Amino acid sequence: MNVQLFALAIVDGVSYAALVFLVAVGLTLIFGVLRVLNVAHGSFYAIGAYTTASVGGAIFAAGFSPWLAFPLMIVAAVLVGTLIGGPIEKFLLSRIYHLEDVLQILVTFAVFLILEDFQRLVWGVQPLFEATALNQLGTVTVFGITYTAYQLIFLPVVAVLVLVGLRLGLRRTLTGRLITAVTEDREAAITIGIDAEKVYLITFIVGASLAALGGALASATTSVVPGMGADMIVLSFAVVATAGLGQIEGAAITALMIGLGRSFAVYVWPEMQVLVPYLIMFGVLLVRPQGLFGGIEARKI
Amino acid sequence: MLTLKDVTVRLGGVRILRNVDLKIEKSSTVALIGANGAGKTTTLRTIMGLTEMTGQIEFDGAVLSKVAPSRRPGLGIGYAAEDRRLFSGFTVEENIKMPGQVAGYSDADLAAKMERVYEILPELKEMAKRPAGAVSGGQGKMVALGRALVIGSKLIMLDEPFQGLAPALAHKYADALRKLRNRDREVTLIITESNPDLLRKFAERTLVIERGEIREARSHITTG
Ligand SMILES: Nc1ncnc2c1ncn2[C@@H]1O[C@H](COP(=O)(O)OP(=O)(O)OP(=O)(O)O)[C@@H](O)[C@H]1O
Ligand SMILES: [Mg+2]
Repeated sequence: MNVQLFALAIVDGVSYAALVFLVAVGLTLIFGVLRVLNVAHGSFYAIGAYTTASVGGAIFAAGFSPWLAFPLMIVAAVLVGTLIGGPIEKFLLSRIYHLEDVLQILVTFAVFLILEDFQRLVWGVQPLFEATALNQLGTVTVFGITYTAYQLIFLPVVAVLVLVGLRLGLRRTLTGRLITAVTEDREAAITIGIDAEKVYLITFIVGASLAALGGALASATTSVVPGMGADMIVLSFAVVATAGLGQIEGAAITALMIGLGRSFAVYVWPEMQVLVPYLIMFGVLLVRPQGLFGGIEARKI
Repeated sequence: MLTLKDVTVRLGGVRILRNVDLKIEKSSTVALIGANGAGKTTTLRTIMGLTEMTGQIEFDGAVLSKVAPSRRPGLGIGYAAEDRRLFSGFTVEENIKMPGQVAGYSDADLAAKMERVYEILPELKEMAKRPAGAVSGGQGKMVALGRALVIGSKLIMLDEPFQGLAPALAHKYADALRKLRNRDREVTLIITESNPDLLRKFAERTLVIERGEIREARSHITTG
């Protein structure tokens, strides 16, 4: 493997890891606070991608500035998280927190199936492709390889900003502190006046919006197709389990490991590409069942 | 000002409180005593809205049992649970402040409340910056009291505050309660205890909980 291929694999891996991280960190945040493993999380990713690609296609065709592609992603992510994620938590999940884990997973799986059909209904099965954002940022040449600035710089920067923003938000803002308090002890939080139901709702919306943002960003680099949500949820489950449930920084590092592992496999042993994330997961979980960064008594968020 | 009307609480199918009727006057200091497992904790938890109950609770002119549990502290009710329940990821001071921040106190208000807490519990000042997860069990009881003081402008409920305290610390804690009592004549205090002797000096009124019923203690010393 020469230097150029090596560099290519790294850039590929990092930019892919950035997307996976956004989805996985939302999943782990929701799990850390609500203690629900949300199978429907991948659907927010897919719907975020569909919304961005279809709305983007329409507004660029109508002659609007291509730079709108970026604010559009944020708006789409927040709208999907709030308008689809919000009601799912408020009217459905809030009723099943007392149920066993297996039943909760079944319910969120049902939500996933419904949202899959919803996507087919709204966007059909034709792939959508809308790369305005990608083209808008141009290309960069490193080590003699030309790469899109979008993947080389923009995606990793967004991921780092989200990571830092989440950490600071949880530590420094009142809402973040309330989330941390409810996570540690929901009942004690209630006895000092914290509206735990609202905290759950906000957390779910933030987590769902992050997944949708991942999809919005991904839509510029790849075709938006049915099934993309399922692929992503499986991968982000692998990341979250490898890192340890509820681990935010852990999810970032693990996403990077899995992203790089996967992209190196593409160049070295392409048949293994799909399997590599799960091999990493099994390898880690065999040695540390609580995940790389999970404590025995899992410290959540 | 705190009234329980026909309150019944079942836990795991067993009636822990049976048709309790109880009136607690404003500004009084009440000891709630009873054997282990008698239902002292359950009574306080029920007032905080943490159990399923039937009947009605009124507080300060409102039907408390219809108020969402998370809104009850905002009515001026501070509660220190038996097992402290501090947030270990925050400092001692952040823990104490949190109910005030949640209730939306202004900075000046919160500063004044903190001043009062430190006046009543000076030992908290020394550990203010320590993580709450790194204080001893007894110190944690002090922190939990401080946290209840911040929000409890009308009613403060302390569940076995002396339990597990070394004599020196128990003294300090009792001093703090006395200071609170003297400074703040308005606030109502409900303190549970399995050892009735400990509270004799404080309480104007002693209630005994037994077989799910709450009644006046036959004899009680009034020291005011
Ligand atoms: N979640 C629960 N499910 C079933 N029974 C419970 C539950 N919690 C408490 N109990 C029972 O309710 C009764 C009253 O418990 P409670 O904690 O109120 O007693 P207590 O007077 O505070 O006791 P202690 O002095 O030991 O703190 C006990 O018999 C206890 O076993
Ligand atoms: Mg008790």
